[in-house]
Amino acid sequence: MAEMEKMNSHDRVLAALSGGKVDRTPVCNPTNIATVELMDLVDAPFPEANRNPELNASLAATGYTELGFDSISPYFSIIQESSALGCEMQWEQKDNWPTVRMSKPIWDTPEDVKIPPGFLEHQDTSTIIRSIEILAQSFKKEVAIVGKTMGPWTLAYHVFGVEKFLLMSIDDPEMTKRALDKLKEISVIFGEAQIGAGADVLTFPDHATGDLVSGEYYKRFLLELHQEMAERLNVPLILHICGYTLDRLDSIGQSGMASFHFDSKNDPAEAVKIADGKIGLVGNINNPVTLYSKGPEEVRNEVIKCLDAGVDMIAPECAIPLATRLENLMEIPKAVREWTERN
Amino acid sequence: MAIIHEGLLGEMQYIAKPFEQNHIKDLFKKDDMLMQEIAFNLIYGNNEKVDELTKTALDQGYSANDVLDDGLISGMAIVGIKFRDNIIFVPEVLIAARAMKAGMAHIEPILSASGVEPMGMVIMGTVKGDLHDIGKNLCIMMLRGAGFVVEDLGVDTKPDEFMDAALEFKAQVVGMSALLTTTMPNMGRTIEFFEENGIREEFKMIIGGAPVTQEFAEDMGADGYGKDAMACVDLVKEMVRAK
Repeated sequence: MAEMEKMNSHDRVLAALSGGKVDRTPVCNPTNIATVELMDLVDAPFPEANRNPELNASLAATGYTELGFDSISPYFSIIQESSALGCEMQWEQKDNWPTVRMSKPIWDTPEDVKIPPGFLEHQDTSTIIRSIEILAQSFKKEVAIVGKTMGPWTLAYHVFGVEKFLLMSIDDPEMTKRALDKLKEISVIFGEAQIGAGADVLTFPDHATGDLVSGEYYKRFLLELHQEMAERLNVPLILHICGYTLDRLDSIGQSGMASFHFDSKNDPAEAVKIADGKIGLVGNINNPVTLYSKGPEEVRNEVIKCLDAGVDMIAPECAIPLATRLENLMEIPKAVREWTERN
Repeated sequence: MAIIHEGLLGEMQYIAKPFEQNHIKDLFKKDDMLMQEIAFNLIYGNNEKVDELTKTALDQGYSANDVLDDGLISGMAIVGIKFRDNIIFVPEVLIAARAMKAGMAHIEPILSASGVEPMGMVIMGTVKGDLHDIGKNLCIMMLRGAGFVVEDLGVDTKPDEFMDAALEFKAQVVGMSALLTTTMPNMGRTIEFFEENGIREEFKMIIGGAPVTQEFAEDMGADGYGKDAMACVDLVKEMVRAK
């Protein structure tokens, strides 16, 4: 790889997502890498940075300008659409994530699912769309702008409540499919708006995780739906599912998504073997233990393990703890560059 | 032969460890078809059937304690093992817990009236700043399924709320859950709050949640860590024995 002409970050990420050649493995963040330190650096704290496009863009850009990642992801949490749909929110403070109050669901049945008028003009959806416009204008294809639109499975947790939705999945699978079918239109509308604003890539989180449901569930409820999303949203999609997923990775490989953002509960070498080139892989540096509580040496070791395994893009496994030290995050691109020089 | 119900015999294929096979067989040692029928229907979440069979058993003169131990708790023990070993997942546990609740609706009033001592008293909540509760709820279901009385403190539980509840309910064990890496430190802060108020030694304090590890539990000064709902039940049993 060393003899290839140097690519910019945008081209590097897009090439990796299309299975093309890269000058080095990209360092990507399909999910948030903003920290409290970065919020202080650019004076863009949570929760305001989730709700104000200028603050949002300013904080998101630090992933590229300060940390040296090859992507910028302005959607820091998983709640923007749900807030716009009318879910009750707990916005929290600088040191914590905003969260949907899932114990107070807004809908009971698929028939209740309605996209409110002005959904894209709501403060929490329009913040992301406008932020992407700002970032796209500022960086002009120098770095990959990664938007995010939540998948219907995750939206269902928010609007129906986790337990109620999971019970629905057993009691009435057809009703569950109808609910997902209606919710997926929210994913498409918000995804298309971000593409229109200048997103090069979309992360598509849909938490059918092994911590909650079986691999069979992915096939039964989501595979076809994800294939449809990959057809309809005209940028490379990165599917994100937390937790253990090796038991469903073969199915995920048939989703048509460009890449799969995987968790540290999955061994990278085993993941590469199962993915077998059918889908790219991005991941999977451990958050709570390695990035949050260890040092650069441990981070470096995990990066090298992923590179040696053949993971296509290196990234933290999920949204990082907000108190993660910058030196640990900066070690990721540093370790990738040094590994590339050695190999 | 301890197990005579055909469906339950089929369930034994999911119990891989010999000592657990023996334990399960021991739970069904009375060779009682009605109790085994209750257990089997609980495992598959047939709540209406569990409701009906529990009522039938009580009408036939079975004691509430026998139905609880030989039917409901025994069934839940198999659910716990299957969940731990990834044979079933959360939706299947939720329907089993719903069936357990249907049975308990008949059992609880009788047990309360008779003053039978529960296995132990536990309070459990998701810590301050965290609204995720599915893991905590699973632990509570499993603990109740194992015969503990559990007071559910809900989500976003502040240290003083844990303390007030621990004192009010005379808890033996205080359980804390977190899903977010940003809220995990609030487990340690809650433990510190108990220390500052001079009551830390009165309670066993345990923690769990997807990002939590044994190492983190030790750093926070917790008495124990459970990696899943099944481990939580074993841990609470151990904590109550140690009290």
